[in-house]
Amino acid sequence: MTLVEAGAADWFDVKGTPPKAKQARRLKDGTIGMIVGGAMLGVLLLMGILVPLLSPYESDQSVDMPFMPPSSTFLFGSDGLGRDVFLRVFSSVYLDLGVAFLGVIIPFTLGTIIGIGLAMSRSKKLNAVVGSVIDGINAFPLLVLAIALIAILGPGLQSVVIALSLTNWARYARLSRTRAQVVKQQGYIEAAQTQGYSKPRILFKHLVPNVSSETTAYGLSDLILVILLIASLSFLGLGAQPPTPEWGAMISDGRPTLQMAWWPVVFPGLALCWAGVALSFIAEGVTRRDRDVKS
Amino acid sequence: MSDALIEARQVCVTFGSGSRAVRAVRDVSLHINAGEAIGIVGESGSGKSTLARVLAGLQKPDQGEVLFGDESIYQRGKAYRGDKRRLVQMVFQDPYGSLNPRITALSTVAEAVKFHGEHSRSESNRLSLELLGQMGISERDAGKKPRQLSGGQRQRVSVARALSAHPEILIADEPTSAIDQSAQAQLLNLFQGLLGDGLSIALVSHDLGVIRYLTNRVYVMKDGAFVESGLTQEVFDNPQHEYTKQLIASIPGRNMQGAGT
Amino acid sequence: MSTVTVTESPSDALVEIRDLVIGIQRTRADRLILVDSADFDIRRGEILGLVGESGSGKTMVCRSLIGTLKRRSATIFGGTIMFDGMDLAKIDERRWRSVRGNRIGYVPQSALTGPNPVMTIGGQLVEAVRCNRNRTERDARKRAMELLDLVHIRRPEVVYDQYPFQLSGGMRQRVMIAAALAQDPDIILADEPTTGLDVTVQAEIMKLLREIRTEFNMSVVLVSHDLALIDEVCDRLVVMHGGTCVEVGSVEAVARNPRHPYTIALNRARIELAAPGSELMTIRGNPPGVGEWPSGCRFCERCEFAQDDCRVGASPPLLEVEPEHWSACIHASLLGAASE
Repeated sequence: MTLVEAGAADWFDVKGTPPKAKQARRLKDGTIGMIVGGAMLGVLLLMGILVPLLSPYESDQSVDMPFMPPSSTFLFGSDGLGRDVFLRVFSSVYLDLGVAFLGVIIPFTLGTIIGIGLAMSRSKKLNAVVGSVIDGINAFPLLVLAIALIAILGPGLQSVVIALSLTNWARYARLSRTRAQVVKQQGYIEAAQTQGYSKPRILFKHLVPNVSSETTAYGLSDLILVILLIASLSFLGLGAQPPTPEWGAMISDGRPTLQMAWWPVVFPGLALCWAGVALSFIAEGVTRRDRDVKS
Repeated sequence: MSDALIEARQVCVTFGSGSRAVRAVRDVSLHINAGEAIGIVGESGSGKSTLARVLAGLQKPDQGEVLFGDESIYQRGKAYRGDKRRLVQMVFQDPYGSLNPRITALSTVAEAVKFHGEHSRSESNRLSLELLGQMGISERDAGKKPRQLSGGQRQRVSVARALSAHPEILIADEPTSAIDQSAQAQLLNLFQGLLGDGLSIALVSHDLGVIRYLTNRVYVMKDGAFVESGLTQEVFDNPQHEYTKQLIASIPGRNMQGAGT
Repeated sequence: MSTVTVTESPSDALVEIRDLVIGIQRTRADRLILVDSADFDIRRGEILGLVGESGSGKTMVCRSLIGTLKRRSATIFGGTIMFDGMDLAKIDERRWRSVRGNRIGYVPQSALTGPNPVMTIGGQLVEAVRCNRNRTERDARKRAMELLDLVHIRRPEVVYDQYPFQLSGGMRQRVMIAAALAQDPDIILADEPTTGLDVTVQAEIMKLLREIRTEFNMSVVLVSHDLALIDEVCDRLVVMHGGTCVEVGSVEAVARNPRHPYTIALNRARIELAAPGSELMTIRGNPPGVGEWPSGCRFCERCEFAQDDCRVGASPPLLEVEPEHWSACIHASLLGAASE
């Protein structure tokens, strides 16, 4: 026994894992990240409901002198038209996140269907044609393509969503095609075939979940990019039109007078960052959890 | 040969075309009788896995046909039509890839049980647990996802899934090559028991020890064609083809026979 | 039973591994132990087999001998690995560079991914040859050719300019062995060198390893889960289970008179010794998972001979049961009597 006592017993507890291990594992499987990210997002969403509901003013109503610095009555101060920045920042939450959500979910769905369809199709011609369309779209930066399309469609949030749907699907299509090509050769798909399962069952129960897990993780991080993209487009005057409260548009409005009043620019900017950090925590958690399933 | 359950006649499989064409299986004929275990032995690239997939209905041969009960299985697009699909099941080489990573061992088996038996959900869960229990998978392990199971356990879950279709023949492609020695013995005992229950087994392997232990007839495959076939005992005791002799001489531990515990 | 600790005759020991503990530091207070009190020697000119199921810790021990535990985020928590006056458990990365490859050569598990796919075989060998010694390009090339010849590669001048994908798995593994030999090491470490290779190729690789041992009086450590292979190729073997060594001895002694229930069970599960169709003896349950080791002997839950005293205390240490033969079973003497 001397061996073990001298060598090993000092170093560790042989049986059982200390309670701290549980925490470590949670950190590793991304649970903590998801909790933090979820809480941050929750706060934002809650404020998005409560602030406009409880405020006695409207978001486009002038309530004070222009360019009043943050005070106890108006926490984020007032902008150039004397509007409450606090109210306007939180009035934008559902618009910004909602448009971004649409701008991800539509391309996500389209791209996944097209990608899996291509992977399952035996037609070489179809694969070549759609494949080169996908590569063509992906060759351009998203922002450039989106601006070009909005130039045709005319400015406005509706155009932003349409432009995103027409371009961003290609990324999801490429991702899910590659993934589906790998998954369809896995033993469990062939096993399902030898069981005699119907094609829809194999597709929806065994193939799609294993493909979309990959694209979901990408979609969550894409959501951050799309939020920034929408703000950028609005900043350029192509997205939300005044007086609609929108973070990008608010930053754009406050930019000329930034020297004398920082608050109309910084607070919408902080809101953008907050949303981005919250979503990246969640995305990271989902990715880790997914990695755990596979390894 | 009248009692052949499944029969392959002059099967050829070619991958690619033109100058890059690879003839994976060349003009191979074999049969499996009811209740017997045959072995297909060969090294990597010999075409044995492709042949297994042809028999399982997953790879349509370019030439030749596979007969199952006097009927060619590759007809009008889909292999093994109707109820016949159920009767030929396969266990795959890679225990990691052969189970859907997102669903538990129990759901994997229960899905198959429910599909073939048209039971209620609770009934099929009960039957699946029973089946998994026979494979040596405890109720606790049945609730786990594939990644939480060992290679040997995953392989036994695969067997349980295959058996829930009540097949007449089980095609096993290198079922023991990726698992530990003790798990291998468990799996082989399981196969031995299934043979006793009247199931036919086609075992594809590069491991001659496994072939010698389990099968009564063997086909030796090299470069897509059979070089020798016959009763396993006879082929091992008195190999005719040079390649077979070389294979048998390479089995490790052969010189330990009889000297063990 | 006396509680004498293991002392192998030091005369011919090249490497002495004592009480080696390897694990992963997960948080400040939480350590996941992967290997615990590994204890054996590597002798000069022997082929030593390291056998165990997955999770037994054999690969970790192997990695500790070439200083690549960090890449798996594992650390040595205790014990010593004495090699030529150095303690390999404690030396830093800079000193490792003069040992790894130079004194201890390594043949990786997967021949298929081992060689760098974008470098020619010759380029990789020259790199290995020149890595620790100042040799001219010409000299190194000559040596690389010699090495290819040494591992019986036909037409080395052709293979020299080829890329790994142009070679078969067996050829690639020969090249990996050649690279391991480049610096004339004292020890070659081969971690499952024939996984995924065909039996005929496996037989050739094993023949090659034996030749190298004889020709250069080199020590070879062969890691494998295949007891039959170990039995055929090795002089001595170390059986690992649950992160610890359970039996150490010469292959003959362990085959003739296994003194640990795990070794006995492994032997019984061997199919090449079984009559066709007979029921194979299996080992109950599954190998204990890392971090789920039972107290006492880690094999006790699977052991057919387990007594109450097997289930308490720490994992039992190796004890000499007969000259040059150690077992970690506290009832080893009874097992010996039973088998005779």
